[in-house]
Amino acid sequence: MPELDLDVQVKLAIYEITAETGGVPTSSQVSRKINIEQNEVLAAFRRLHAKRLLLPKPSDPHRIRMAPPFSGVPTRFPVEANGKHYYANCVWDAYGIAAALHCDAISRASDGHTGEPLTLEVKNGEPILKSYVAHFAVPAAHWWDDLIFT
Amino acid sequence: MLLFRSEETVNQWCAAHNIPRRPLVNLEQLWQLAVHWYANRLTVESRRPGPDEMVFIFKSLDLTGPFWDPKSDQWR
Repeated sequence: MPELDLDVQVKLAIYEITAETGGVPTSSQVSRKINIEQNEVLAAFRRLHAKRLLLPKPSDPHRIRMAPPFSGVPTRFPVEANGKHYYANCVWDAYGIAAALHCDAISRASDGHTGEPLTLEVKNGEPILKSYVAHFAVPAAHWWDDLIFT
Repeated sequence: MLLFRSEETVNQWCAAHNIPRRPLVNLEQLWQLAVHWYANRLTVESRRPGPDEMVFIFKSLDLTGPFWDPKSDQWR
């Protein structure tokens, strides 16, 4: 098998660590996992950001704010899957974690206005459908203008 | 992108935050979006869909119009 492009190695390491631990890794964790220098990891973070595959934390480039569908910080969309706890960036990504991990999952989320607990569940590879709705406040052309707000 | 029990609480949230009411997506559509975007995210080949692919995916889920067009300049 040919050697993988560095950005692909970094991306896979990010997702493997996240899937295994529930936490989105720092640059040093990625550096240790694939045995490359931390500055190379940081450069890969920047390139992956340019490809819209991750969002480094604005105040600390060593940390990842979003590796969609996973969030590097707690959100109102916690997800339990494979016996682990994750955070999704938004309601789309709450389902996205089940889709990415190819497993059943449950997200104990809440109504965006009232705070009422609302549960999203994926069982046997299918969503348990309810009459809930997702509201997309930002047009598709502007999703990456301010991804945290989106 | 937030979750709401109903259209009614969406409208209340929009009014409370002075945010325009925009399209709603049901859970079946949302699940399909998640599968299209993320099913191969942990693989070597994974990448984000490009603009034309996005339009194709949205159209397959009856999500059409400028709001769902990543190349639209309607809101610039």
